[in-house]
Amino acid sequence: MVSMFKVLKEQYDNFHLINRLAAYELKSANNNNYLGSLWELLNPAIQIAIYWFVFGFVQGRKPITYDGGGTYEYFPWMLAGIAIWFFIYPSITHGSKSIYTRLKMVSRMNFPLSAIPSYVILSKLMPQLLLMLVTIIIFQFMGIPINIYYLQIPYFLVATILFLFSLSLITSTISTIVRDFQMLVQSLMRVLLYITPILWPLGHFGDTFQFVMKLNPFYYLIEGFRYALLGEGWFFIEHGWLTLYFWAILLVFLFLGSYLHVRFRRHFIDFL
Amino acid sequence: MTKSVVVKNLTKRYKLYSSNKEKMMDIFLPKSYGEPFYALRDVSFEAEKGDTIGFVGINGSGKSTLSNIIAGIVPETSGSVEIDGQASLIAVAAGLNNQLTGRENIELKCLMLGFSKEKIKALEPDIIDFAELGKFIDQPVKSYSSGMRSRLGFAISVHTDPDVLIIDEALSVGDKAFGEKCLEKMQEFKERGKTMFFVSHSIGQMKKFCEKAIWLEFGKVKMEGSIKEVIPAYEKFMDDYKKMSNKEKKQYREDAFKERSEEKEAVHS
Repeated sequence: MVSMFKVLKEQYDNFHLINRLAAYELKSANNNNYLGSLWELLNPAIQIAIYWFVFGFVQGRKPITYDGGGTYEYFPWMLAGIAIWFFIYPSITHGSKSIYTRLKMVSRMNFPLSAIPSYVILSKLMPQLLLMLVTIIIFQFMGIPINIYYLQIPYFLVATILFLFSLSLITSTISTIVRDFQMLVQSLMRVLLYITPILWPLGHFGDTFQFVMKLNPFYYLIEGFRYALLGEGWFFIEHGWLTLYFWAILLVFLFLGSYLHVRFRRHFIDFL
Repeated sequence: MTKSVVVKNLTKRYKLYSSNKEKMMDIFLPKSYGEPFYALRDVSFEAEKGDTIGFVGINGSGKSTLSNIIAGIVPETSGSVEIDGQASLIAVAAGLNNQLTGRENIELKCLMLGFSKEKIKALEPDIIDFAELGKFIDQPVKSYSSGMRSRLGFAISVHTDPDVLIIDEALSVGDKAFGEKCLEKMQEFKERGKTMFFVSHSIGQMKKFCEKAIWLEFGKVKMEGSIKEVIPAYEKFMDDYKKMSNKEKKQYREDAFKERSEEKEAVHS
């Protein structure tokens, strides 16, 4: 418990630092490319096009119908869900290796090491906001107008950031100590795209299968953004139990992550 | 006089593993695996404000480990280091980001040291001026020569105004003119009562600059005292060492290695 408050206080105290470091992170990532930061949008755009081609066009998915009544074409339905995936995926893979790749840069012991995963995640957030904006603009031309349910977006963004941060505290500690863990994370993340209901709807399956799939905390985030962007409803109220479950998982992760991080951080440098 | 750095019974033990499997077992199992190696064993000394202390010793005697521990970069295995204020280490490869320009690195480095936005803005011109990089300040650091890199690193470190400064071989890369400038700056630090540690193989620089010296040999303090006592003794040892035949040298190093990998309780003096 003590470690958790310590880690959270470090985030609060170093807010400016985290912001600036995130800005530099973004800058140094795209310095070598002629198109620069444009790649932060081009990369997801290419992938979205492929997913649409394979699942939407070749397999010819039917429009998706929700219990609430809304029916959506495959492309906007997929886009609404996958947009946030382009924040989740790099945040987890980079967050996990954030500490051991940057420890040399820090070179002072009283640097708040818990700020490293958070600034790496924050640097992924900026392109994400842009991607979300582009998605919203596209939706205006597809007949899915701005709606009151957009108000959920800030809530789900905060939930996503907190969740990714908690998870990264755990993964970055483990992968600093055992480097193989990073490999595992990268493979698992590729799998996670397909076992999370991002590219396929959950609606057709049996209750048990649906229940198991909903235990995946990413389902909550993806579906939440979908409800918001498509204007389907207030997801976190309609699925109250899922909301409780998600925050419980988040707290457990945060607690565990802070404990591991604080316990091992003094010795991180010895594992390099 | 007030103590600025107190090092007590400092020990740093590394583990040498013969395989990755052994390393894994050491992390996860309570039993100890791998061969211990004492980079430092039972090192104690004190430094007062305004002291400039040189660390001498042959390669691998623990000078850099000691400076890293004082700077707080590497944790100690046992013993303690108490520092009054903030310590800063200047080493040749002082954690610059190769992708960013010199100017951006200045801000990044200062941010990491915990400075506010205003303070960084105020410091920036001084640092740029001191580093003498000209137009290169707006070029990525990867295009710098090693001298330029160490100049930038040195300029940043001295302007962050630490209370304890540790200089690890950083002056040996720059040219003579820059070396002079750095020594001048360090002289100024000395007058302001800051404590400095100086690691160098250049006995000349050390004689010029330090008042005290600590001679480390195989992770232990062999001799400690004023520069006038330690340096001649060290030079004499170096001469003797050079005169040894290769076989004797090898024997000498092997004996030392054996001693450093022995697991034994530190003898407190």
